[in-house]
Amino acid sequence: MTPNGWLQIAVFFVLVLLTAKPMGLYMAQVYERKKTWLDPVLGPMERLLYRMTGVDADVEMGWLEYGAAMLVFSLATLLLTYAIERLQHAIPLWNPQHLAAVEPYLAWNTAASFTTNTNWQSYVPETTMSYLTQMVGLATHNFWSAATGMALAIAFIRGIARRESKKLGNFWVDLTRGTLWVLLPICVVYALALVSQGVVQNLKPYDTATLVEPQSLTTTGPDGKPFTTAVTTQTIAQGPAASQEAIKMLGTNGGGFFNANSAHPFENPTPLSNLLEMFSIFLIPAGFCVTLGKMTGTPKHGWAVFAAMSILWFAGVATCYWAESQPNPLLHGVDQRVAATGVSPGGNMEGKEVRFGIANSALFVTVTTDASCGAVNAMHDSLMPLGGLVPISNIHLGEIIFGGVGAGMYGMLIFVILTVFIAGLMVGRTPEYLGKKVEAYDVQMSMLYFLIFPVVILGFSAISVLAPFGLSSLSNHGPHGLSQILYAYTSAAGNNGSAFAGLNANTHWYNSTLGITMLAGRFLMIVPMLAVAGNLATKKIVPPSLGTFPVTSSLFTVLLVGVIVIVGALTFFPVLSLGPILEHLLLRSGISFS
Amino acid sequence: MSDIAFLSASFVFFIVAVLYVYGCQSLKGGGKDA
Repeated sequence: MTPNGWLQIAVFFVLVLLTAKPMGLYMAQVYERKKTWLDPVLGPMERLLYRMTGVDADVEMGWLEYGAAMLVFSLATLLLTYAIERLQHAIPLWNPQHLAAVEPYLAWNTAASFTTNTNWQSYVPETTMSYLTQMVGLATHNFWSAATGMALAIAFIRGIARRESKKLGNFWVDLTRGTLWVLLPICVVYALALVSQGVVQNLKPYDTATLVEPQSLTTTGPDGKPFTTAVTTQTIAQGPAASQEAIKMLGTNGGGFFNANSAHPFENPTPLSNLLEMFSIFLIPAGFCVTLGKMTGTPKHGWAVFAAMSILWFAGVATCYWAESQPNPLLHGVDQRVAATGVSPGGNMEGKEVRFGIANSALFVTVTTDASCGAVNAMHDSLMPLGGLVPISNIHLGEIIFGGVGAGMYGMLIFVILTVFIAGLMVGRTPEYLGKKVEAYDVQMSMLYFLIFPVVILGFSAISVLAPFGLSSLSNHGPHGLSQILYAYTSAAGNNGSAFAGLNANTHWYNSTLGITMLAGRFLMIVPMLAVAGNLATKKIVPPSLGTFPVTSSLFTVLLVGVIVIVGALTFFPVLSLGPILEHLLLRSGISFS
Repeated sequence: MSDIAFLSASFVFFIVAVLYVYGCQSLKGGGKDA
């Protein structure tokens, strides 16, 4: 670890801190349908959209209707993306490489993945998806799934803020306003900034470059005999990457335009683009803390939640940075470059880009899994065991450390309800949250929310480590292999989408079950969350009393962090002890697995 | 054939999700509030 590395991490956090308030207040204005400076441009577009779709913007919905609208919208967009993928070869538009139709298992997995804001990619984009599919099927979906998450978070906040109301807002209006007022304007500016750094944006066929130094490649032929071919050219993929990259990061989607994701020089060329990409992951989620404070009339509560998120973020980045700064003990003495020198960062540089180094790779790893982004600028499979423990634990906590756009906020609010419930039990009083009594139904639904997550992750992981079709596509044995499988289902259920790599997930088993896991991790968790929101909205406000646990204090922040660690982390501790923790101990004893 | 299977699977999932919505709603009032 170096002072320079810590300074860069500090700069990142200061940026998040400084922008949280303006971003949060702006989003409160947008969702409360108050005046903003973009109204003259976007207002007419909004009204036109409502006229075309027959939406009555003044009609509000209860939680059942809000949830049903969200489900119908998600199903429609899932089917649209599936159709585009299956028909891309037949559509004579933006397919200069003449790519074939995506096969059904993969098409379904990808459609489920982008509908749920996961962006898990079992495919190589450059050789699978046409530009049309990337733009109309995937990039558009990035906007829709992000705006859906934001709408749901706003519905939850309204549930807390409203008194004796059965309504949570209008899903179609929240979806439209989130897209038009928040995501689109930022993405336009952001995409141009990325282009200025060297991110490509074109519809050209792929370039072919002649190698300065031709290579010879030895492979095994169909007859089993090795043969050597001379490689004299390289194909350089092109495409509309910048426009997709902007929403990929801002919407915490994470699906790369290229296979190497944000490690690819056309997606993330410079240290500045890297800082922008990390910052944009946290921009909206951090702002939501301020939106929560503003819309509930308790700004201090929003900052108390922000503080809890910041503590957990720091714990993650410090652990990951420390772990990655340690040289691999099996390389120590074999290759002296692992030690830090004036020209080398030392530590574990395997799977990392030299232009980012260890500090910015560790920070990216932490931020992308704190949120449900899943973009990567370094290969998570190459992290040291304890470095790899950080992203997987971040997702296990429910991605509530700032979290996905909207999803992080409503996930955190479920933890807040559990925290005030536990605090209420401690003092023997009926728990209250901002004047609303937390009752049996709220806790039942919150626990349902928490239980779905480990059930799908541990259930499918258990089958995969026992069945030949689960083990056949592993690249490593032993605890690292377990980590690879566990990470895949964790990433899918958490709607993160990052891969540990090393596991070939493009098989019928993984494509199908990961698709189901993504849908369950998104929609089966949203429903009980909306039920809590709908129930809270109907309640009266109770004046604070001596037994009321204040949710604006530092004590609340500490208790919230404690509940998150106990509920989130301990659920998965047994399996983590068999995966990354055991791998760490074995590595220290000089044992590794091929 | 696979297309029909996956489209059916999607519909089935979302129908289950809608039933689940109503299941969550029906739980209300099932327990005694504190």
